[in-house]
Amino acid sequence: MSLKLHDLITKVRESSTTSSTREIISQECVQIRNAFRKEDTKNRPRNISKLIYIDFLGFPTDFGQVECLKLIAQPSYVCKRIGYLGLSVLLTENEEVLFMSTNIIRSDLASENKFIVALALSSLGNIGSVEMLRDLAPEVEKLLKSQAAYIRKKAALTAIRTIRFVPETVDRFVGCVKSLLSDKNHGVVLGGLQLLVEILKIEPKTISEFRKLVPGLLRMLKSLVDAGYAPEYDFEGVTDPFLQVYILKLLRILGQDSKKYSNQMIDILTQVGTSSGLNKNVENCILYESVSTILTIDSPNRLRVTAINTLSKFLTGKDNNMKYVALNTLLKGVNKDSKSLKRHRKVIVKCLRDKDISIRRRALDLVFGIMNKKNVKELTQELLDCLPKAEHDFRFDITAKVCTAIERFSPDDQWQIDTLVQVLTIGGQYIRDDVIAIMTHVTGRNRGLQYYASKKLYNSLLDDRYRNQKFIQVAAWVIGEFGDILLKKSIEENEPIDPSQIIDLCQIIITSSRNEDLTKYFVLNTLIKLSTRIEGYNEPIKEIIKPFMKHVNIEIQQRACEYFRLFEDKELLVFSFDRIPVKDDNLETQKIEEIEENSNQNRNTNTKVQENSNNQLSPNNNNNQNKNKQEENELNLMGSNINISQNQTQESSSIENLLQLDFSNNNNQNVNKQTTNTQNQQSNQSTEDFLSDIFGTNNNPNRSVNNTQNIQNNNIQNVMDLLGTGKGNGTGMGRGNGFGMGKGNGTGMGRGNGAGMERGNGTGMGRGNGTGMGRGNGTGMGRGNGIGMGRGNVNSQKKNPSAVIYNQDGLKIQMNFKLVSVNGTPAAMIQSTFTNSTQTQMTGLFFQVAVPKHLQVQMAPPSSKIIPPNNNGKVTQTFRIIKKQNIKTKLTMMTRIQFKINGMPISKQQEVKNLPLIF
Amino acid sequence: MIYFLLLANKQGKIRLSKWYQNFTKKQKTKLQKEVVSLCLSRSQRSCNFIEWNDYKIIYRRYASLYFMICCDTEDNELIGLEIIHHFVEILDKYFGSVCELDIIFNFQKAYNVLDEVIIDGKLQDSSKKSILRSVGTQDFLILNAPETGTLNL
Repeated sequence: MSLKLHDLITKVRESSTTSSTREIISQECVQIRNAFRKEDTKNRPRNISKLIYIDFLGFPTDFGQVECLKLIAQPSYVCKRIGYLGLSVLLTENEEVLFMSTNIIRSDLASENKFIVALALSSLGNIGSVEMLRDLAPEVEKLLKSQAAYIRKKAALTAIRTIRFVPETVDRFVGCVKSLLSDKNHGVVLGGLQLLVEILKIEPKTISEFRKLVPGLLRMLKSLVDAGYAPEYDFEGVTDPFLQVYILKLLRILGQDSKKYSNQMIDILTQVGTSSGLNKNVENCILYESVSTILTIDSPNRLRVTAINTLSKFLTGKDNNMKYVALNTLLKGVNKDSKSLKRHRKVIVKCLRDKDISIRRRALDLVFGIMNKKNVKELTQELLDCLPKAEHDFRFDITAKVCTAIERFSPDDQWQIDTLVQVLTIGGQYIRDDVIAIMTHVTGRNRGLQYYASKKLYNSLLDDRYRNQKFIQVAAWVIGEFGDILLKKSIEENEPIDPSQIIDLCQIIITSSRNEDLTKYFVLNTLIKLSTRIEGYNEPIKEIIKPFMKHVNIEIQQRACEYFRLFEDKELLVFSFDRIPVKDDNLETQKIEEIEENSNQNRNTNTKVQENSNNQLSPNNNNNQNKNKQEENELNLMGSNINISQNQTQESSSIENLLQLDFSNNNNQNVNKQTTNTQNQQSNQSTEDFLSDIFGTNNNPNRSVNNTQNIQNNNIQNVMDLLGTGKGNGTGMGRGNGFGMGKGNGTGMGRGNGAGMERGNGTGMGRGNGTGMGRGNGTGMGRGNGIGMGRGNVNSQKKNPSAVIYNQDGLKIQMNFKLVSVNGTPAAMIQSTFTNSTQTQMTGLFFQVAVPKHLQVQMAPPSSKIIPPNNNGKVTQTFRIIKKQNIKTKLTMMTRIQFKINGMPISKQQEVKNLPLIF
Repeated sequence: MIYFLLLANKQGKIRLSKWYQNFTKKQKTKLQKEVVSLCLSRSQRSCNFIEWNDYKIIYRRYASLYFMICCDTEDNELIGLEIIHHFVEILDKYFGSVCELDIIFNFQKAYNVLDEVIIDGKLQDSSKKSILRSVGTQDFLILNAPETGTLNL
């Protein structure tokens, strides 16, 4: 005899331990399984109900899925109701079983019993999958015109899910909206309003058509506002606040960017937006919605001012909810209404100290929103004051905002340095990596402040030698870079600093086990730089560096070895660690644009290539996905920074000036000339104006040095590096990466294989590397020097292998292979060229590549989707294959090519073997 | 747009959960835990909104029960609260001053009411009366169905 649901629940509630609960449930599951096996139809509804409860407790219930289908297939309403509930609770994961319910739902949608129709509609609306919704869209459309309002309102909401999941069905529902909106039943109108909002999201072009509905909507809103007591829709004295809010929301969308329609709305918005409210939540939500609408549409100034004043009333109130929404909404008015916002600055700033994190977050955004050059000092100070008390997560937000403020609104350089040091000292561990870029930028730009900055950082460093890593890194960098200035000026200012003090400090930091390895990289660099800046301290510095040649961290070890070796060649040492050239501000902006463009492209590639698996909320949510992608992107970019610090990108025309500036000494100039010569030779070899990497081919032992210099021949006028984020510093070129800036060309070169020394192109990747470049500069090269020795076996692949992998139907695909390295992993850069020898052009080109599991493929979009006829031009598409596991095999891949010729789609799939590349 | 609705008691036990996006069971458990612990940790005077990933949690406490919905960030938070309240009032009228036990033992009925208030994360009707009327009719149908006798839920 099977247990009743009620009894099961009681039994579970009475069980005291989890293990006894588990026992009850497993016994029950056995019984239910048996009943299912015996086709016990009588108890099926009860069993499914129990399964729903069991599922609720978190136990597996997969075996009940098909039974749910059997239940909804029964004619009786009772069975259907439980069956549909089971469907929505037990089945959401398994779309295949769910899809099997399509036909049952279809017949239920045609049922004469409106409650059965409603059941089918609700579950289609709640859990329908793409295929189901596509199949049943005609039925939903039909039901929108049903006799019963009860069905119409449900159909409207189901229609929303349909167009959300299957956007191409939108045309089907565009025509129905009008009748829904003129319905008498509030539920149907609500559904219609929400459907329209969704349609406008998917098909924004329809907005001009729907704007014609504005007068009707306004009338409806007015009648609601003016309505007296309506018992059915009364909410604490307000008539149907839901309907009012949804109308206001729709008006906001329709009125945006249209002066004409905005004007029509003014009267009613004035009426709604100025009503008293402030006591009941129902009133407030209408007020809040109307204020949002006023601030979004093109409304007159006086109305906006009233709206903002309403919000500030919210802010001063006691209700935290109101504070929150007010802050949230004020952000919308930041751009247009900064004047009226100013008056409320104090209140906003006060919210930064609220107890509630939600409110503080909003306040932070808003404070940043109202920031400008005039008030930046004061507001930044406010933010910094909040920093020590803030929660862990929130500190990251604050420091990020402060850094952006320092970058963007800085009134003068000294303030910039002061604030940077301040934020570094109090929130160093919460700060983002590019803070060092800001510091380098400002100190490089303003020579007068170099002493100021280094002195300030030096003094602070004396107080903190191991706690705040990011701060130590920045300080170490500045002191290394401007060590000579620090010493010279300190004497002038009568508070002399002894060089040995600085070096001792460095020693303390670098030997302390409490400091991160990354910090040690920086300090190593500081030391080696100081050796060139200060006379007569080479020996002590050498002594400090020496033990690190055996350091457990390979990177530190390598650097130490490299630097130690560099001491043997003074000229090279000085040349390598000379001061970083100043970054040009104008160029910066230009570059940022470029980078943005590049990263956009990069994002596109990412979209194609990478499956986004760690999306937390759902695969259906685009916002979230994009966000993730962006993050990935950022990650990529950051990753690339690491490479970049090893690189140098220079304009060939400016190189001589630069070098002259750097080397006043004749001997050095010789070296310099030699270098330039090599560079020139190489540049000549490269016919295209790609960057060329120069590989030192000298046999002279003193100069058995590889220079990784990427010279770019187009007009980019400066040299950048920067220790960047640091990680890759100083590796030198054995594993340096070539890099192209303007063009987005670049190649990584691997440590192990000398392939790196080749000229790089390979679009996809160069792009990925975009940002770092803006930050990169001079040092990289110096560091690159002197190491490569013996490491790469040069140019074994001077000629890149190529192969024709496809030659049919007039389409020829040729692939050029090149071995490169991506962050140290071997990779192949493959450029595929498509040519068309037929008379007609080929359109809709779509080329896909699949590789074995130990490899990963990343494709850039093709240069065009159309291949011109008669071999008149070619289409190229670059992709790279990265090795995920170290298996040495011949490269094989699966390719699929799709294109249309004379409108005829052709699709070919083939396996490509025997490629001339061992990988 | 509501992505999911949760109902939990003060101890964090889930009493009702409704999902309007497809999640795997694993995801659901994870999200539930996260959201519930977020809401329970809030002090009473804090506002009823929490920014969470790219979403916003709107929650409200009724006696020992927390009602939580997860919305888009741009949604009107106050109307979100009203939707919760609307649902609670309907439950209250339907069960006759609802308590946690009502929902535990009659979860199917609670789901049924919810389906009448919200479909696919969108509000269906603003009239309590019409919702209660249709829920009532459905219960009447069940009560008088010939199978009900043998069903004996």
